[in-house]
Amino acid sequence: MANGLKMKIGGFAKEVRTHWKTPPEGRYVPYKEYLDIFIGVGSNYAGSKTLEYIGFGAWCYLFMYHYKLPYLTFSIINIINMPLGYIWTLIWWYVCDNLGFLGKKTERRLYLLYFSLIAIGLTLIFAPVSLIFNQQGAFVTYMNSLEGISCASAFKILGTHILYNGWVGARNIFWRKKLLPKFGRYKYGLYCDFLPKCVMVVLIGWLPLYNISDVVTRVWTSNLLFACYNVFGFGNNLETCTQNISPDTKERILVRTYPIKMSHLAQSILAIILPAIIGALPGKWEDINIFRWVIPVTFITFSSLTMIFAGRIKERIPQPPLERKVKIGFWDGMFGVMGNKYRWIKNVVGLLDSLGNGMLGFTTILYLYTFRLSGLTYSLIVALVSFAGTPPDFFTPFFMKRFTYKQIMIFFQLSRAVGYSIVVATLLLFSDRLVLCGTVCVVMLFLMEVFKTVPVSVDHDMDVRINDYQMYLSGERLESFAGVFGWFTGPITSFIGLIIPLLLLKYGFNSNWDVLFVDASRVKIIVIPLIIDVIGYFLMTIPYFVWDYDDDKQNKVMAVLRRREEVTNAQAALEEAVGDETAAVPESVFESGGELDV
Amino acid sequence: MSKQKKPRKDNLADQSVYEDYKNAIPEEEIWTYRVEGLQAPHVNKSYKNARTKKIIVVIVLVVAISLSIFMSVRVVHNDTYKYEELGDGTFEFVKFSNPGGILELNVSYADDDTKKPISVIHEYAFNCDEQIQKISIGPRVKQIDGKSFYSCYALREIRVDPENEWYCDLDGVLYTKDLTQVVCYPIDHDAYLREKYGYAEQYWPTENWKKDGLDKYNDKYTEKYEREINTYVLPDTVKTVGMLAFNYSELFRVYLPEGLETLETMCFFRNWHLEKVFSYAGEKPAEQTGAVPTKDVKDSLPDSLKTIGSDCFNSAIEMDYMYIPANVTEIGHHAFWGAARKEDGGLIGLYEIYAALDEDAFKAQVKTGDQWTGEYDGKLFPKTVPVVYGKARGETNAQQSD
Repeated sequence: MANGLKMKIGGFAKEVRTHWKTPPEGRYVPYKEYLDIFIGVGSNYAGSKTLEYIGFGAWCYLFMYHYKLPYLTFSIINIINMPLGYIWTLIWWYVCDNLGFLGKKTERRLYLLYFSLIAIGLTLIFAPVSLIFNQQGAFVTYMNSLEGISCASAFKILGTHILYNGWVGARNIFWRKKLLPKFGRYKYGLYCDFLPKCVMVVLIGWLPLYNISDVVTRVWTSNLLFACYNVFGFGNNLETCTQNISPDTKERILVRTYPIKMSHLAQSILAIILPAIIGALPGKWEDINIFRWVIPVTFITFSSLTMIFAGRIKERIPQPPLERKVKIGFWDGMFGVMGNKYRWIKNVVGLLDSLGNGMLGFTTILYLYTFRLSGLTYSLIVALVSFAGTPPDFFTPFFMKRFTYKQIMIFFQLSRAVGYSIVVATLLLFSDRLVLCGTVCVVMLFLMEVFKTVPVSVDHDMDVRINDYQMYLSGERLESFAGVFGWFTGPITSFIGLIIPLLLLKYGFNSNWDVLFVDASRVKIIVIPLIIDVIGYFLMTIPYFVWDYDDDKQNKVMAVLRRREEVTNAQAALEEAVGDETAAVPESVFESGGELDV
Repeated sequence: MSKQKKPRKDNLADQSVYEDYKNAIPEEEIWTYRVEGLQAPHVNKSYKNARTKKIIVVIVLVVAISLSIFMSVRVVHNDTYKYEELGDGTFEFVKFSNPGGILELNVSYADDDTKKPISVIHEYAFNCDEQIQKISIGPRVKQIDGKSFYSCYALREIRVDPENEWYCDLDGVLYTKDLTQVVCYPIDHDAYLREKYGYAEQYWPTENWKKDGLDKYNDKYTEKYEREINTYVLPDTVKTVGMLAFNYSELFRVYLPEGLETLETMCFFRNWHLEKVFSYAGEKPAEQTGAVPTKDVKDSLPDSLKTIGSDCFNSAIEMDYMYIPANVTEIGHHAFWGAARKEDGGLIGLYEIYAALDEDAFKAQVKTGDQWTGEYDGKLFPKTVPVVYGKARGETNAQQSD
């Protein structure tokens, strides 16, 4: 047996050496790229996770302990920004799903629009626009009565929103067009955002806006600062890229299971070290040095590593060359995503999942207010729970082979429903025995994390498959236009989002998180949203019953995509060779929809 | 062919099947080829009834977006006053949302209608209001939740109608009528006291007052200021300090009467400046003089005390002595949490807690909640604050070692 194992290891080592730079037959990814994925994705993931400490919301420690903005103010800002947001989003989808390659006329129009927005935004921020209204009138009085907002600051907030959208819109066209041909659709953002993001991360901690005593000024200035911060993204781009690293679905799973999963080790270690460092600071979670030193240093280190390895990871979506890419008209995009049955299924699931929207982070409350953890103890428990999902992940390919996606996802929802039901029962029965209560909750979190791993991989793969299927249906992945489902479900999610914050307010939660030390209030603040969540988990099993997109269909879809790539590449090569502009492919496929036809 | 170059079997099988499938797709059908069981591709072709479909989509989206905005606006819209009828002709004051600028409020009648008296003030009714400074309680109010005034950082005084049979106030501090329970010491009560005693500014003692040329801030001034503004003496009738009664107060010293039995949950929560708790016997000195008791004054909690609520002295980091008297039978979880820490290489705060009973008697008699003594930073993991059993009041380990 030992000999057999030895031979297997030896054989594997030899295979790795042989195929270090060129993939084995039937595969697309050489082993060297596995190493690049391990380091690159690991750094990118750790860097993007570090940024989760920063955000414009009540959950962020910066706001919890330093800015101390009223809870409702965040909702008010969302409402101020909401109506115009719909318009910008439509244009954004159109630009993104055409990969930034628009007709010349459309491009000029959009640039004009975006630069006008920048000018309007700046005017609203710096000019005293509110003075044109009657200062004793109903409008100004109403605006002044909003929590954390005044009429003058509301215009500045609106100006910030307009400035932000003009700025990101113009950048979106410019950088996509410039960088996408070289770096692909998922990685290009890293190259244009890396440096400015580093600068903004530093500014977030060092600009002392939280010292402004007037809450209204504190609100609009912090909103402006965070809008500038959000202009530059640093998502988990490399991992998204690796989700499409191979046209072979089995190889995708293999990459996801081994190098990607192992790459998350960096984040797991960081999840231990960071809280330990924070725990050693004099003010612990309340210490501003978290945002001045700890986060910036960590982020800059990992993002720099990301940039070193980003170029070595390749995107391998079977697609026509860019010059022969299918142009997506506005309505093609809209009807295209609405005609995709599997997007409907996923969106119904997402809608049901929104039943817990508006609740505070359960684990945050558990760790900080039930267990009162800090420093190394906090790190170890967080690491233990998050590590729980790692070992089962190595068996993901086995589970995917043994069970259908439908079975796995239904099991997942039921496991969450049962798990959180036990948590709720414990919280209700042992609300004042914090250690017992906390222990049961942590054990349940651990088990749920174990059960979650395979379904999460399946869920990701479902999304990738849906995009492949969309590409088969519409000639493009239409990942941005898919956002229109959110608009249909908006009223329901808004209604749900209305209930939980109101309940939390009723139970005492506002700008002061200390209310979570009041046992009775804490239990209500956690339990009621969790019960709503549990109901959602049970309901979420229903849509999966109609999921029938199996491996065979996926492989056939990929075959069609590869065939399209093959044929269009051949045509492009032929055109180049003979300079023939009238290739056999119908012109309409590539040219119609090139201009914005809303 | 070498062994290493041989591709995997399962992949090969799949590959050959789907490779054949791929190659069978005619070149001219690449944009229209339909996979069995799936919809046919629809690449840049016109849609049937496109105009009708567009109109439907636009209408549905407009309705959906309008509803979303409406729902969201509902989230932030709050009535200034929210009441609930209780069925006995009286009302519960449920919620106050300050529209801005309301500094004083009278909680007597719903909608200012004398036919609608308010009898109950709901928990968190004034939660996190940062503007209200004075609240007047009406004659019919008979039930006030301890959490009603939670986080009202600007609240200076609570006044009660003299005709109220259930509650009263002593110079702006809320009590039950029989003065057996203190309900709420307003968070910014020191601002009221400064105004009352004629202090123009909030004065924080600093070691550099002489160097800074602030001559008037001498020791005598400081002593007087702290006695009048940062010291509070509870009446000798008080048996209970209510839930959250003194939370976030700026008090330095508190005198608790012998006869006090219960310190409820979080009653001295986050009193960062609280240095001393004394117990005293006999009558409380007259209120207005700012005098403190002098008879039978002892360091720490009164001997009559039976219950210490959860998070009672949470964050009382300036305290340096805590004595658990022999009559205590219950201590809530985290009662002294955050009241000790490492600083400049040494320990500050309540890094030792002294108990009158010996260890066996203490464990037999006192029901304690989780982590009641608190913790301070250890090398890797936090250390639990130890209890020193069987000590007489005022006797500390430091004295023994001396």
